[in-house]
Amino acid sequence: MKVSVEWLSEFVSPLPAPEELARRLTRAGLEVEGMERPAEALRGVVVARITAAAPHPDAAKLTVTQVEVGAERLQVVCGAKNFQVGDLVPLATVGTTLPGGPTIQRASLRGVESHGMLCSGKELGVSDDASGLLVLPKDLVPGTPLAKALGLEDTVLEVNVTPNRGDALSHLGVAREAASVLRLPLQRKLRVPVESDGLASDAIRIEIADPVGCPRFTARVLEGVRIGPSPAWLRRRLERCGVRSISNVVDVTNYVMLELGQPMHAFDLDRIQGGLLRVRRAREGEPLVTLDGKQRTLVADDLVIEDVRGAQSLAGTMGGADTEVNDGTTRVLLEAANWDPGTIRRMARRHQLHSEASYRFERGVDRSVLPEVLDHAAALMAELSGATVRRGRIDVQPRPAERRTVALGRGDVETLLGAPVPEEEVRSILSSLGFVAEGPGRWRVPGWRNDVERPEDLVEEVARIRGYEHIPSVLPASSGALTPEPAWVEVERRIRGALSGAGFDEVVNYSFVDPAVLPWVTPRALEKLGTPVGAVALKNPLTPQQAVMRTTLLASLLGNVSFNLRQQPESLRLYEMGRSYLRDPHGGKDRRPVTEERLHVSGVLWGRRDPRGWATKETSNDFSDAKGAVEAMLSALSAGELTCRLARVAPFHPRATAEARVGDVVLGWIGEVHPLVGQQLGLPPGVFAFELEFAALEKVARLSPQFRPLPRFPAVLRDVAVVVPVSMEAADVRSVVLEVGQPLVEDAVLFDVYTGAPLPEGQKNLAFALTYRSAERTLRDEEVQEAHRRIVEEVQRRLGGQLRGR
Amino acid sequence: MQERLESLASKAREEIGRAQEASGLETLRVRYLGKKGELSAVLGGMGKLAPDERRRVGEIANRVKAEVETLLDEAQKRIAGAALDAELGAPPIDVTLPGRMRRPGRRHVVSRTLEEITRTFQRLGFEVVQSPEVELDLYNFESLNFPADHPARDMQDTFYVQGDYLQHDPGAIVLRTHTSPGQVRTMLDRKPPIRVVVPGKVYRADSDATHTPMFHQIEGLLVDRKVTMAELKGTLDAFVRAYFGPDRRTRFRPSFFPFTEPSGELDVSCGGCAGRGCRLCKQSGWLEILGCGMVHQNVFKAVGYPEGSVTGFAFGMGIERVAMLRYGLDDLRSLFENDVRLLEQF
Repeated sequence: MKVSVEWLSEFVSPLPAPEELARRLTRAGLEVEGMERPAEALRGVVVARITAAAPHPDAAKLTVTQVEVGAERLQVVCGAKNFQVGDLVPLATVGTTLPGGPTIQRASLRGVESHGMLCSGKELGVSDDASGLLVLPKDLVPGTPLAKALGLEDTVLEVNVTPNRGDALSHLGVAREAASVLRLPLQRKLRVPVESDGLASDAIRIEIADPVGCPRFTARVLEGVRIGPSPAWLRRRLERCGVRSISNVVDVTNYVMLELGQPMHAFDLDRIQGGLLRVRRAREGEPLVTLDGKQRTLVADDLVIEDVRGAQSLAGTMGGADTEVNDGTTRVLLEAANWDPGTIRRMARRHQLHSEASYRFERGVDRSVLPEVLDHAAALMAELSGATVRRGRIDVQPRPAERRTVALGRGDVETLLGAPVPEEEVRSILSSLGFVAEGPGRWRVPGWRNDVERPEDLVEEVARIRGYEHIPSVLPASSGALTPEPAWVEVERRIRGALSGAGFDEVVNYSFVDPAVLPWVTPRALEKLGTPVGAVALKNPLTPQQAVMRTTLLASLLGNVSFNLRQQPESLRLYEMGRSYLRDPHGGKDRRPVTEERLHVSGVLWGRRDPRGWATKETSNDFSDAKGAVEAMLSALSAGELTCRLARVAPFHPRATAEARVGDVVLGWIGEVHPLVGQQLGLPPGVFAFELEFAALEKVARLSPQFRPLPRFPAVLRDVAVVVPVSMEAADVRSVVLEVGQPLVEDAVLFDVYTGAPLPEGQKNLAFALTYRSAERTLRDEEVQEAHRRIVEEVQRRLGGQLRGR
Repeated sequence: MQERLESLASKAREEIGRAQEASGLETLRVRYLGKKGELSAVLGGMGKLAPDERRRVGEIANRVKAEVETLLDEAQKRIAGAALDAELGAPPIDVTLPGRMRRPGRRHVVSRTLEEITRTFQRLGFEVVQSPEVELDLYNFESLNFPADHPARDMQDTFYVQGDYLQHDPGAIVLRTHTSPGQVRTMLDRKPPIRVVVPGKVYRADSDATHTPMFHQIEGLLVDRKVTMAELKGTLDAFVRAYFGPDRRTRFRPSFFPFTEPSGELDVSCGGCAGRGCRLCKQSGWLEILGCGMVHQNVFKAVGYPEGSVTGFAFGMGIERVAMLRYGLDDLRSLFENDVRLLEQF
């Protein structure tokens, strides 16, 4: 809310400098987010008296004036004629920058020196008059800064009022806070109208058919209204608060709202038919044209004010076009009513009618002070429009405001804050905010503070007015019992370390993705590639491309690949650790998560394996690199050996994809992206990816592997080469080698794969490095020779036999 | 025989002196001193000599043998020395050639910041827990004392989720707008004392240079029998010193959140200007980093803790904001484009 310091000072004075005031308010919870000085634009402009004027010797349109500015005398050349010697006018001195205009410099105009510029109202931005110089009142003192002379010096504070503090949405409300923190009295001078003879209740009757929606309705009747512009001082205040001036009658309703916080409405009484206004809920489908000229269709939850014809106004939100005050209005019904906050909020949202009025009603307005506020507004309106005010106030109050009290025990402040506050100070702070002591430890809550309900609320009042800086700072006495770090934290750390070591940059993507992408990236049976996927959808996405929650991180990562390819990198290695969101028909029951949120570790690889360099070869990332990244993670987790099985799964290539497992635990998938997916997403060939379940990785992790004694006897190394059909998987060959090698072969590492001459077509040579070792003794050469011969024979027999079998 | 020995010695002197390589030297050692070497051959005939003569020739043979051994040792040293000189004197390698490395991957600046902050709270004795992101209105708002139709809901632009596939009606479903439902779930699952942090993703329907529809927060919650606001302050002061550094100052201001009372916001003195005022802190000298307060008794009521039985404090911090301040980022949206040229800067 915009708060004029000049206006505020009517309620509290003396106010400190605006900066200090802002600091004090912020410290008390009314955060001042910005400050504007409307008079800043007039810096350098002063009041000048014209002491002499003569025609310019060389230019008929110009006049050479001599002006007096305090002790100084200056010569200024000017184009206007609407002044006499002796008049006071504004002078922009040399160095002044006019609003939206040039910086004034000493100049020579056709050979005559000019020290500044005499200004029109328009040039200064203080009026629309550009016809001549702004001639100022005679009683000003030459040399005085113009802003000061005209009372334009003000600071406007931009106050961020939190949603619980509807009471602070007015100058009075902010003044109350200021008075409390500054320990100054709050001055309030409300006007009272002079009443005429006719009775208000003879002119109009008010009925409330919905006491829930309208707890109180007050009104005054004004007659002999002359619609016209508001005086400058009022317009200025409205403008500073960001409200456009419309007419004296409408301006008064806005002015009093900004002043006291009560939104009001002025009806043209002669356009209300039947002498009756009724507050009721709308009928479903009922039409209403509002002030903004829009035709609206109402729903049963809307609250309206009707006359005999039907709905004339959306209660507390926006008036109707039919009963609007216009230039010909002479009789006004001035309404000050109270509305149910929830009803107003729903209406404002439903009809997109967020106004200064609805904003305040949503937050709650004090209905106990309605009569005084109404009188104040009526008196001001009468004064500005020449109207008379009929005798009596209409005041229908089906639900009087309840008197609320809150208990504050002796120890409550210390218990919550952790340090005592003297009883005397507690009392003085609460009193300064309008709370009234009602017996020991009981405080009556003022009508405007609908946010205060509990002892803690009172403690907060005390703490914030004193300033939170007075609360001591101590470490918690309660530590709870410290518990071991959950395993997943360490698992995550190790996985990230391994992937980083393998050269994968981490990405973080939005959880919502384009629904068009999911059919092409969701892991499932390959046959379903491209068919619809049931995903969790947003009701109000920001864009259609962010409309569903991702079912796989590949949805994002493959997008990252195509995005980054625009920069023509040599290679990409990216990973993400994040959740996918799957529909769960029973989600949200009891304490179950609404969707199945699975944490994944997924990565993509593309392009050169090693960066271009003098010592690297130009080879591309392939399946083995993707698999190697998974192996690196498993190694970091001290997990068991990775086993891969060829798999047909979307969105992967059926020739180059594996289900990844450790023992019985399926980790996920590793593979090349299916060519059709590449086409759909605009990816080049050769993109490899993996998607693993974090929970599975956590399951196979051995964070505390157990010690095994180091071997006591040396190993003997021998190589063995086996020729097998190319379709035979290396893992099968290796397991045969390990099996027949029992008990002496400790390990078999595949170190070469060869196809081509001199091997026959369809055959490949696999070479393994075998490690022989005995746990009991140093192996003798002959023993190893013998075992090795047996293994070669056996492997050839078993695998060769298979070959012959086909 | 003596002559043969003498000539053998002189031949050995000459040949060993000429030797230039370690392998040649070894050949000479075998030829002269080996079992079937020349010295042995000469001495083989000794059995035929008279005892006196044998003693005399034996002495000479020993002397020759010792001399040849010495010569061989010296030659070996000489050759090794020359080889070393040659090795050391050869042209140097080009040390300016680039090293061979696999560039380690980088952490995303947001996830890195989240982990740093989480770890700092772990040092302060907070346990890390996880909580769902797709959440019931019940846990995201209602249980946190946000009544329906309350303007406090305007503080957060909410994404709503379609629940048409559900086989029951759990009420409105949202993407959590803050990590605070993690408070509710933790309290529903456990009994006090509680001391946890909940890091994670949150969502609000808002997008500009300083707002992205998804961002990260970390929630803190401490509940016990008599927790005070002084302890909230102490914990956050400790965090600021532990994370930002011992020279940073803090400022607590009153604020409003429906689920805490009293509520506050914490500002940290600006690191860019040491609190004097700069562009980063909009001339104020302070940077707002989190909201906090004492847990509202209505929240305890919502999770079934008997009223008045416990007190507690809670806080929530925006991670991107801290990352922006720490790493000088100016447009949050670029963080989630994942341009590797940006990723690789951190």
